[in-house]
Amino acid sequence: IMLKGMTRLVSRVHKAKHGEQHVGQHYNISIQELKTVFPHGLPPRFVMQVKTFNEACLMVRKPALELLHYLKNTNFAHPAVRYVLYGEKGTGKTLSLCHIIHFCAKQDWLILHIPDAHLWVKNCRDLLQSTYNKQRFDQPLEASIWLKNFKTANERFLSQIKVQDKYVWNKRESTEKGSPLAEVVEQGIMRVRNATDAVGIVLKELKRQSSLGVFRLLVAVDGVNALWGRTTLKREDKSPITPEELALIYNLRKMVKNDWQGGAIVLTVSQTGSLFKPRKAYLPQELLGKEGFDTLDPFIPILVSNYNPKEFEGCIQYYLENNWLQHEKAHTEEGKKELLFLSNRNPGLLERLCAYL
Amino acid sequence: MAAPSLPAWLALQTRARTLRAFSTAVSPVTGAPRLSPPTTERTSKHERAPRRKALPPRTEKMSVDQDWPSVYPVAAPFKPSAVPLPVRMGYPVKKGVPMAKEGNLELLKIPNFLHLTPVAIKKHCEALKDFCTEWPAALDSDEKCEKHFPIEIDTADYISSGPSIRNPKARVVILRVKLSSLNLDDHAKKKLIKLVGDRYCKSTDVLTIKTDRCPLKRQNYDYAMYLLTVLYHESWKTEEWEKKKTEADMEEYVWKDSASEKNILETLFQIKAAEKNTELSKEELLSTKEVEDYKNSVVSLKNEGDNENTISQYKESVKRLLHLT
Repeated sequence: IMLKGMTRLVSRVHKAKHGEQHVGQHYNISIQELKTVFPHGLPPRFVMQVKTFNEACLMVRKPALELLHYLKNTNFAHPAVRYVLYGEKGTGKTLSLCHIIHFCAKQDWLILHIPDAHLWVKNCRDLLQSTYNKQRFDQPLEASIWLKNFKTANERFLSQIKVQDKYVWNKRESTEKGSPLAEVVEQGIMRVRNATDAVGIVLKELKRQSSLGVFRLLVAVDGVNALWGRTTLKREDKSPITPEELALIYNLRKMVKNDWQGGAIVLTVSQTGSLFKPRKAYLPQELLGKEGFDTLDPFIPILVSNYNPKEFEGCIQYYLENNWLQHEKAHTEEGKKELLFLSNRNPGLLERLCAYL
Repeated sequence: MAAPSLPAWLALQTRARTLRAFSTAVSPVTGAPRLSPPTTERTSKHERAPRRKALPPRTEKMSVDQDWPSVYPVAAPFKPSAVPLPVRMGYPVKKGVPMAKEGNLELLKIPNFLHLTPVAIKKHCEALKDFCTEWPAALDSDEKCEKHFPIEIDTADYISSGPSIRNPKARVVILRVKLSSLNLDDHAKKKLIKLVGDRYCKSTDVLTIKTDRCPLKRQNYDYAMYLLTVLYHESWKTEEWEKKKTEADMEEYVWKDSASEKNILETLFQIKAAEKNTELSKEELLSTKEVEDYKNSVVSLKNEGDNENTISQYKESVKRLLHLT
């Protein structure tokens, strides 16, 4: 029988009421919610942890709380504000982003979550010439995977939102004006060739209609520095492709501009998975480059740093309660000091270290 | 034959200290074969004159406060018997130490400066003092030197003993000047820095011109002065094509007409439109305090790069602009 310690007190408190005093404590997300809200987007090690412990617990931390405070006070008539989470490797940017997404999902926002923009600029096997615009390239695989996950996350909205234009896919198929967005998504999933165009249409429609106030839109992109970097993709004649020539990236860039109202844009910049960036780079300007910074300006940079002592204690307590730390010295003071020294309170490192104990 | 050979042998004996010592037990019979022309037959071991024993090395007789410049007055190869240091050099074998200095070829191969110890150099300077003129008493600080003599010229003269007194290295002339002592305005300074490229050091603000393309030192000096004059006058002129300077050519970030300015204006206009407050014009928006703060923070962020200070400043200014608490 596991002792439910102090860390569980928060599980029954609704996320909307998270405040300063809850820093360092964990809150629970049920597994069903996990499947609907996060079909993609959780870091792989966290997914493994969820499977092992049979529950998903996120720690409440200051950067996420700060962002939640801003989001609660957003004025939806103003253009969407951009928030950029930055920090060193393993400090918890992706998980903070997931915390925000969960909060917004509970508040009934429409979540547009791109789990890792870096996946769209490297290792793509089939690149087709785009049907819509001859200069650009399509990525059918990535687009269809994303559409499937988007459908799972936002089922209930897809039937409510109606497209406002007629879209012709090919000689036989077309989507009429006024039909639900679900049809466009279905078309993209079934006909993989048109998946990229379907994604483009979805983004365009959501942007247009969120300004009308029908719903609130949260655009969450992890690794947004991929949009302005370089790609490792090449054409048949081995000449490199710039990000603008990929239709997915082109449409996503339009999404993170602040020329629409009725929502918020939360982004992270990360070096893991980025191309041609030095390992130690973590500051926003280094990773975004000149073009990226000029496009995202003005934005609010939010630093995600290593655990503070209270959060560190909380994390160790959580592992101890779930009987994750089997080493006999793990719960002693010296053991904790050793872990502190080895991991420097870095959440990612701590998680990897504890996996061995 | 024995009688005339005896005095010759005695005369030889008086120089015994520096020459090989002759044994006194030599029989007169062997004296004769030495004076005869050399034969091909080998002399037996006991008939050969035995060698003198090796003397102890000179290092053992050196005192600690001796006059070192007289041991090594000129550049000379390393003499292990004359250098009293227990130097070891060489790659050691397994479980060994580097080789000692006696008979060490490595120590002979490398250049040594045993003739240029500080004591020796002091002596050189003392001797050279007679040939020098006195330093002017009025120039007693660096700032005064810079103020009155902003241009510094470095030349080198070489003397060596050889068939010719000329040395091709002697024609090099290095001219150094600080740009702060030249009368340049902002545009002229940027143009000059672009023209000279690598020759300007940003941290010390020194322009270095090194010339060696003429055969004589005087010609090189004239050429360096000519280059400086031309650079100065050219950088003051503005050409037609300089008006096409793009953002990529700029040395530092200028906020006016930049993408950041456009973004912020668009954002603010949209905010105002949402609040039905469309009376403000572009100039008024630009002159508000929040926009000023934002402009300063962006300029410092771009010019200095990211650090905690600049980022937090930027964050605060954006929060104030967008009216977030």
